[in-house]
Order: sequence, then structure tokens, then C-alpha cells
Amino acid sequence: MEYYLNFSLVWRHSARLWQGLALSIELAFISILIGCVIGFALAVAYTGGSRPVRWAVSSYVEFIRNVPLLLLIYLVFYGIPSAGGFSFDATESFVMTLSLYSGAYLVEVFRAGLDAIPKGAIDAGKAIGLTPWQRLIHVRFPIMLRIVLPSLSNAFISLFKDTSLASVIAVPELTYGANWIKTNTFRAVEVWIIVAPMYVVTGYVILAVLRFLERSLLRGARR
Amino acid sequence: MNGWWSFVVSTMPFLWQGLLMTLFIAAVVVAISLVAGVLVGICFAYGPWWARLPLRICSDILRGTPLLVVIFTSYYLLPFIGLNLQPLPAFLAAMSAFMTAHVGEITRGAIQSIAAGQTDAGKAIGLTFGQRLVYVILPQAVRRFLPPWINSVTDAVKGSSLVSLVGIVDLMLAAQQVIGRTYEPLPIYVLAAMIYFVINYSLSSLSRSLEARYAYVRD
Amino acid sequence: MAAGAAALAMSAREAAAQSAPNSTLRTVLNRGKLIVGTGSTNAPWHFEDEKGQLTGMDITIAQILARGLFDDVTKVEFVKQEPAARIPNLTTGKVDCVIQFMTVSPARAQLVNFSRPYYIEGVALLTSAKGKYKTHKELLDAGSQAKASVLQNVDADNLVHKALPQAQVMQLDTQANAIQALDSGRADAAVIDLSTVGWLVKRNPGKYLDSGFHYETQIYSVALRQSDLDWLAFVDTTLMVNMHGHQTDLYDKAFRDFFNTEPPRRVPGFPNI
Repeated sequence: MEYYLNFSLVWRHSARLWQGLALSIELAFISILIGCVIGFALAVAYTGGSRPVRWAVSSYVEFIRNVPLLLLIYLVFYGIPSAGGFSFDATESFVMTLSLYSGAYLVEVFRAGLDAIPKGAIDAGKAIGLTPWQRLIHVRFPIMLRIVLPSLSNAFISLFKDTSLASVIAVPELTYGANWIKTNTFRAVEVWIIVAPMYVVTGYVILAVLRFLERSLLRGARR
Repeated sequence: MNGWWSFVVSTMPFLWQGLLMTLFIAAVVVAISLVAGVLVGICFAYGPWWARLPLRICSDILRGTPLLVVIFTSYYLLPFIGLNLQPLPAFLAAMSAFMTAHVGEITRGAIQSIAAGQTDAGKAIGLTFGQRLVYVILPQAVRRFLPPWINSVTDAVKGSSLVSLVGIVDLMLAAQQVIGRTYEPLPIYVLAAMIYFVINYSLSSLSRSLEARYAYVRD
Repeated sequence: MAAGAAALAMSAREAAAQSAPNSTLRTVLNRGKLIVGTGSTNAPWHFEDEKGQLTGMDITIAQILARGLFDDVTKVEFVKQEPAARIPNLTTGKVDCVIQFMTVSPARAQLVNFSRPYYIEGVALLTSAKGKYKTHKELLDAGSQAKASVLQNVDADNLVHKALPQAQVMQLDTQANAIQALDSGRADAAVIDLSTVGWLVKRNPGKYLDSGFHYETQIYSVALRQSDLDWLAFVDTTLMVNMHGHQTDLYDKAFRDFFNTEPPRRVPGFPNI
């Protein structure tokens, strides 16, 4: 088997990879922000909610967690307009899917975080006359945030990797850029030799930054 | 609704073989990664540094790379070092390695969550390392291990859908094949989503009953 | 005399072995079956019929080669692959040849060898009967309002812009999803193979329309690894005999079944091939 590696064709299109990588990070970032809002709201609703509310939240979580992300992407992208819904563009449609997806995972994370808040802290809040809403914002939320931070970092990394699936609906992220170069230069091996480390290194850098942030936040909390 | 049922009945036979392949792949990957991952995890927790270091590097690289990229690497890059694997073995190797890295981390986390006093107590009554592991540490670690591990099993079922990219007919490619004849993807996507849901929901329900069974030790 | 004949046969076999010790032709004959890279998700080229059998024009071409090699159309194993895997699977030795509606281009010819053509495909715009724009003129008039879906492929943007210079291009992962994008109203036209447009319009008369604009000719050939003259010559010769010679039965049947067209009559005399 003779195959000569040739990177020059890949370099010529490297802008697609850098721009794609930036978009991948952006997609993951927006999705986790929206996902956090969904996840936190539903976790609070679940923790204090009635049976029908809990059932509705569990149904959403179970459905999203038990269906492959690729199918969810197809269902939102092709299904919603077919059912007569709004026709978001591909990027919006993907962000919507990934937000719903991360939301379902984060409900569990936040729920565990809320459960782990020491009861004494809530009682203390009651004792100084805080309303339930004030207790949620000023007591439960900050304590929970510290508990769930490591899980949030992990969730962000896996969302970053999941953005590679956006390529199937033509969102120009990193894998789409890689596929574009692959189909236009036929240099599949060279493209993967470059793109695989781009994912690994970026994932590592993001994780290191997040771990650093975690540590400084936690240090602040202990003081 | 009648139309939907006749669609399901006429389509299921084509998806059936693919469904079996999906379950087969998930079962093989789960079995290999369970055995290998627990060994890797034990090594992470107790091994000497020269064993931990290479495993740590491999594990971090595997966990830091999208599964898709691991698969393409196994299929297209291994031939350059003389390993020209067939699609199915290439996929099973890639996905088992990927899952082993994850199970290794889960195992390490579970073992290290057991208080050091437990090990000391084992030493005090004269248990060997193997005995301490089997009778003291692992039984307690199991209940920390199970919830994240079951999640990873669901991930294996879902991740197996990537096998279609190397041309193995799993549920996903079987669905694409029906689509390639009819050119009507959407109903098939809905049906496939329902099938994945049924499999994975059964798995996660099973996991909850397992967890309940092993939760006999309270913190 | 007998000994002389045996010696002659021996030396002929040795000569054959020496002429191409590394030829795929030899490997395939020794293996006893042909390994072909193709797809399974695109009618009428390569797809599973209602019985779950792989069929289509590409599949017939593979069977034609198997008949040439082993006098048995079943001695062929299909490796199912994505279009993007066509060249990698060939260059990394996963398959003996690729028969998967592969368009011949000089850029690709730098990486693989192509056989003589077995079909010349066109491109057409499929529109929806309930869509905003139905004909090519309506799509043109819509300018940059028109959205066209197309399979992710080399030069896909240019391909769309040749028919609709201002249209927005949506490159999707499968041809079926390019058509689904039309059904979902995400695209106003799907830019797909002419033969697929024919196949779909015939099967769903009330649902799809042929916008009436056909353009581009794309040559479909069998792709082979480079630097293997014996294998290339074998494939070329077999295709020639099956398309122009005394064995046109398989090719002609496929032509009728999949393109709904009567194959041209071959005329004795000047070799118009």
C-alpha cells in the first residue's frame, strides 16, 4: 500500500478549520448557557413541584437522554418545519437541539446539586426572614453552583465534542470544514491527522481554563 | 394513525436486522469495556507511576476526542502501521477503547471515593491486597460505580449508530436504506427515535432497579 | 509431447505470475470473489429493494465484473460505504474497486484510476408540487430568495450556481436529506441527479416536479487503485464487451429497469465505441 501524505492542499483551506473551530466553541457555549437556564428552571420545578410537573420534567429528560443526538438533530431540523412550525436556519435549529439536549442532562446535575445543599443553610435563610424566592436566589443558587461546577465543566466539554454532529445539517463548524476539505481535496487521512488533535487540544485547553476558574471560585467561597 | 401503523408494520422487517446489529455492538463494547475498564481503573487507583502514566495519556486522548474521530482513526490510520482491519473489528476496537477509557475513570472515581480507613482496617486484620480489593473496596465501590456506568451503557447504544459510517448495517443504516428506496426520511427518523427510546429506556429502568438493590450501604 | 505441453503450460503460468505479481486481478482471482465498495441508500444506483436485496445500476456493473471474473454474478462481496469513503477505502486497500455513482474528474484522477464510462449522468432540479417555486424560471426569478439543497460534494456550490446563480446553497449529508429538505420546506429545490429526479417523479407524480432544467454531464466510471494496468485493462475490457459486444443482456436489463429507457441498438460494422 503506497500512499503519500500531502498536507499542502489542506493548508490552503485551513481557514475553514479555524473558523469552524471558533463556531464549534461558540455553539457549545450558547447551548450550555441556554441549557443551564432550562436545566435550572426544570430542576427547581421538579424539586418543589406537584406530581404532574415532576412527570412532565421526567418525560422530557428521559426522552432526550434516550434518543441519539443525531436523530434529535434531524427531527428538529426537518420535523419542525414539516409539522408547520417555524423554519429556523440550520445554526439556530442546531443550537435549539443542543440546548434542549444539554438542558435534559443538566436537570439531573442541578437536581443533585439542589439536593446536596445542607438543610441548615436553608433554615438559616428562613430564620432571617427571607422569602422562598430570595432563598432560591441568594442561598440555594450560589451553594448549588459551587457543587455543580465540576459537572458543568464536563458537560461543556462533551457539548463541544457533540457540535461535530452539526455538520450533517450544513452548519459550518469544524467537522463540516473537515468534510468540505476532504470532499474537495480527497485528502481524508491528512485532514483527520490535523483535525483530531484540534479537538483534543482545544478540549484540553477548555478543561484547563474551566478547572482554573473552578478553583479560584471555590477558593473565594472558602474565604 | 392507520397510515402510521401500516408504515410501521411494513418497515419494521427492514429495521430488524439492523436493530440486532445495534444490540450486538452495544453488548460487545459494554462487555469488553467493563472488564478492561475496571482493570484500568484499579491500575489508576493502585498502580505504580510507570503503569499509570501511559494509561493516563491514552485515556485522556481517547476521552478528549470525538468518538467519530476515534473511529475514522482506527479505520483509516491503522492500515499505515500494517493493521488493515475490517469495518466491524475496526469499529469495535475504536469504540471499546473509547468506552474503556470512560469506564476506567468511573472505576477510579468509585474506588477513590471509599474512605482510606477502610483500607487501613483491612490491613489491620491482615488481609492481602487482593483480599482487601475483593472483600472490602469493590463491594462498596459498586454502588458508586453503577449509576454513571449505566449512563455509559446508554451512550454505547447511542454511539453504536456511528458504525453506519464504516458501512455496517445497524439500525441507523437500515433506516437510511429504507430511506434510499423511498426518499422519505422523516417518518423513518421518528420510528428510529422511538426504537432507540424503547431500548435505552428499558436499560435505564433496569439500572434504577439495580441501583436500588446495591444501595444497601448508606453514607 | 505431453511433457512438453506441461512444461509450456507451466512456463505460461509462470509468465503470467511474473507479468503482474502484485496486480489486484491476480489477488481477486486467487481470492475467488470480488470486493466492491458501494452504497446502499440511493435509488436507482445502489439500494435495497422490497425484498432487502441490494440492487441498482451500480450493483449490476459489479455483477458484470463478477461474471467476467468467475462466470458467476454472485461472486461479489459489497462493502457498504459513504460517498466520502470512496477514495479512502480504495487507497487504503479496503476494496478492489469502487462502483458508487462516482463522477470522473481530473482532480480525482490524480488519486485513482478510472475505467471507461458506464453511464453519463445529468443534473436536474427537483421541486415540490406544493412549493413556492415550481419551474426553473420561477426559481431564477426568485434570485437569492431561492434556497437549493444539494449533497455535500466536491464543487457543490458551483454546481448549484450554474443552474441558479444567486440561490442560497444548503449542503447536506445525504441525497435523501437533500430531498427531505425540499419536503420540509427548508429548500425550494433539490439539486440532484437527473436519474433520481426521473425515478422520484415517476413514483410520486403528485408530490414532486421536474423543474425542467437539465444540465451538466457527469461521467460515471469504476474507480481503481493507481498503477495497476492489468486490473484496469480487465475492467475496461469487461465493460466494453458488456456494453458493446456479445454480452449486453445484464446491462440492457438494468438500463430498462432503473432508467426506464430503451438501451441503444448496437450496429455491426464500424466500431463506434
